[in-house]
Amino acid sequence: MIGLPANRLFCLLLLSLFIPAVVCGAPVTRTLSTAEPGAGEVVTVSLSIDGVALGGVVETLPAGYAFAGTDHPDDRALVRGQKIGFAVMNDTRITYSVTAPASGSGDITGTWEDFLGESDGEIAPSHVAVDGIETKPENSGEKPAAQEAASPFAVLAAVAALLIAGWGGRR
Amino acid sequence: MKRRLLLVLALLLLLAVPASAADGIPGDADGDGVLASGEYASAVLAYLDAAYMGGVGDLDRTDIQDAAWVYARWDGKPREVVDSSGRTVTLYRPLRRVVTFSGESLETLRSLGFDMEKVVAVDKYSHEKSTFFPECRDKANVGSIWSPDMEKVLSVRPDAIFLYATISTAACDDIQKRLEASSPGIRVLRFDCFKPATYPGEIRTMASMIGREERGNEFASFYESTMDQIRETTAGIPDGEKTRVYFEYWFDYTTVSAGSGYNEKTGLAGGMNPFAVGTAEYPVVDPEAILVADPQVVVKLAGQGLAVGGYAGHDPEALDAIRSTLLERPGWSRISAVKDGRVYVIHSDILGGAQHFIGTAYLAKWFYPDRFADLDPHAVHQRYLTEFQGIDFDLASQGTFVYP
Repeated sequence: MIGLPANRLFCLLLLSLFIPAVVCGAPVTRTLSTAEPGAGEVVTVSLSIDGVALGGVVETLPAGYAFAGTDHPDDRALVRGQKIGFAVMNDTRITYSVTAPASGSGDITGTWEDFLGESDGEIAPSHVAVDGIETKPENSGEKPAAQEAASPFAVLAAVAALLIAGWGGRR
Repeated sequence: MKRRLLLVLALLLLLAVPASAADGIPGDADGDGVLASGEYASAVLAYLDAAYMGGVGDLDRTDIQDAAWVYARWDGKPREVVDSSGRTVTLYRPLRRVVTFSGESLETLRSLGFDMEKVVAVDKYSHEKSTFFPECRDKANVGSIWSPDMEKVLSVRPDAIFLYATISTAACDDIQKRLEASSPGIRVLRFDCFKPATYPGEIRTMASMIGREERGNEFASFYESTMDQIRETTAGIPDGEKTRVYFEYWFDYTTVSAGSGYNEKTGLAGGMNPFAVGTAEYPVVDPEAILVADPQVVVKLAGQGLAVGGYAGHDPEALDAIRSTLLERPGWSRISAVKDGRVYVIHSDILGGAQHFIGTAYLAKWFYPDRFADLDPHAVHQRYLTEFQGIDFDLASQGTFVYP
């Protein structure tokens, strides 16, 4: 504990709890054509895959957002409600489309598995909001804890913790 | 009491083998024995559906990982291997829970880069070799082939067991029969991994079983580069010019004869063993006969009971003491080997098992120092430990394998 004040240590601990490990060096990352689509606009979601030869990805769309198609072969994609499953077979990119509702916001969340590497993890959530307007989530029951940790509140808390840690260290 | 024991054994048998170990490739929907691309993709989606999307399905995570493994490494087909006992074994899944009754097979698996976490139990000798097999210290100990702990074997729920192929065959046959009768899904694989004639083939077969063909070729080439150099160099030496060698086994005045592995390695290294004839593998010789044979080189085997040298400890004095007792034997001062300072001690760790090529290199160098001037057994040994065994063992300060 030499040289580390208790409050700084506490903040570092807080940081480790809030920043999901998957953010750094994740084998699957997601980008959106826009995070603030207009009502009924189609959002293109691109999944970039690195180092997973044979695996699977499951994406979960926020309520109201609808799957609209994919460039992935038909026999390697499956849609059930708000969830879309993809079989990864030496793919480095999977693209799919989502139609935005008249209004609504939420996170696109995802999970990946590497069957050969025998590992798995979460894809960092991507926030979408029609016209940039935030709405209260209607149903958060499906959200795993790891995804909750990366919510805007968590990021804010982590930044605050960093600031406090820095301040505490200078005292 | 007996009834309760039977009940426990019956329960262990039920739990012993993952039920699907021999049931075909997971995801092979049409059951034709081949996991086609479409079948694999369907299996993945069925798994994802059941695991994450609220659907139902039969495949669990291990199933889909095995399916992916077979699809990627075996081109979606079962892998048929012929082990060293001549049996064809069909593998539908990768090895996940391995028990080894043979330290040589265990060592070879490690040379091939097999995930040692998947070895769930080992024989008692490998268990004791904590310096060489540090990762086995905490694994289950299943005893020896002569006294196997079958209850322990079944309790670790193996899907594959490694036994010897051509030595101690009665004991290994017995273990195999008991396992196959009780748990038909267990894959029994028999390899020797200590014989120069069959080892390169065994390396490649085992590599193909675990999907490490490239590593297998690399390791076999490394092994063959040493052994081929020895074979090619000694091939041209006429019998009459071969170095006369008295090879003494662990026990005093006990030598090696035709049929023993040590005699084979002595011969490979170009040595002429005057006591090779005979039916016993390890005959006791008349001390006078050794004086009459007048060997040019004497090699004494050390390492009985793991007591002295080898990987167990850096103890050159112990090997020196063994050598000194030889020099002091009555009449030995008249032997050419003693007069010329060509009496050597070698530890069985590098001559009797999977590392026999290292010991054979030392023999060749001792028998023909000029012909093998560029052969460096010490360097071969260190490369083997560092590159293939992946253990942190510095021969400059650890272990004692030869003396002087």
